[in-house]
Amino acid sequence: MTNTDTNRPVDEYVEAEVQRLLTEDGRISEQGLTVSRRGHTLILCGDVESVQRREEIVRLVREQFPGIDLQVDIGLTRAGAPTEAEELS
Amino acid sequence: MIRIAAVGDVHIDKDVVGRYRPALDELPDKADVLLLAGDLTRHGTEEEAHCVATEFGGLGVPVIAVLGNHDHQSDQPDAVTRVLTDAGITVLEGTGTVLEIAGVRLGVAGAKGFGGGFAGRCASNFGEPEMKAFVGTTEKIADSLGEALRALDCDVKVALTHYAPVPDTLVGEPLEIYPFLGCYQLGQAIDSAGVALALHGHAHHGTERGTTPGGVRVRNVAHPVIKAAYSVYHLLDDSETAGSTLAAAAR
Ligand SMILES: [Fe+2]
Ligand SMILES: [Fe+2]
Repeated sequence: MTNTDTNRPVDEYVEAEVQRLLTEDGRISEQGLTVSRRGHTLILCGDVESVQRREEIVRLVREQFPGIDLQVDIGLTRAGAPTEAEELS
Repeated sequence: MIRIAAVGDVHIDKDVVGRYRPALDELPDKADVLLLAGDLTRHGTEEEAHCVATEFGGLGVPVIAVLGNHDHQSDQPDAVTRVLTDAGITVLEGTGTVLEIAGVRLGVAGAKGFGGGFAGRCASNFGEPEMKAFVGTTEKIADSLGEALRALDCDVKVALTHYAPVPDTLVGEPLEIYPFLGCYQLGQAIDSAGVALALHGHAHHGTERGTTPGGVRVRNVAHPVIKAAYSVYHLLDDSETAGSTLAAAAR
């Protein structure tokens, strides 16, 4: 079975392949995202550094796994200055 | 008091240059030094290293970094290190540096670290050559960190790694991947050297706070964990501690 078969069920192997795609595809290279399944839905969760990175992830996963039920819970890391410091003695 | 700012896993590429700048402009008011806990780039290319140099160069405070696994992805960590060094960033790998801040000598020793797992659930240097190479790498890097920490001649020591020295700060990550996120040997190295604070990154879904078996405070400063451009830690000296204890007792 190749990555481009249409309408594959969301099973363990899809979960494994998507997780590796997120890290190993040089256009993504995100090791810090979690991939999980709920029913027939594949869920991507975590934070990335830019909107373009999130869009590219969604585009590539949809392209390589057409027709899968995908839920994207990927946010942007917050880059504001901290308001408080932690005191350590 | 020494004020230490730290962040890891900024994964800089062209698309995020400038993103940290507003917060970094405030940094000299909030901290005396900035520590970068690895995964500075996405793929470890020279081009990305130049983006890191643009973002974190010329801040007005010293910047000290270790590389992460992403910074090795293109097999040119030396080129990445050179670009960062040329931008005035001190890159540590089994080495240390000492800064004087308000009359206090702050020593920082660092190394990327490696996986291997934690006490009782870790990989062993046994069997196939690939397995021995894996655990051998873990041991070699942890040994170099321990030596660099013990060699620091300073008043306060901070350890900087990319991989985690304890499992406490991995909580939130799947248990199954802990051996890829850190190793107990880093914690043992830190505990051998009288360290005041250990900072690491790599575990994007982990937890900020932990402690080594020897009682050293550990902080996971991976960007998604701290939810800010950087965290700031104030290391108080003994007199300040005594003062705050008295103040607390008087309340
Ligand atoms: Fe990372
Ligand atoms: Fe990493």
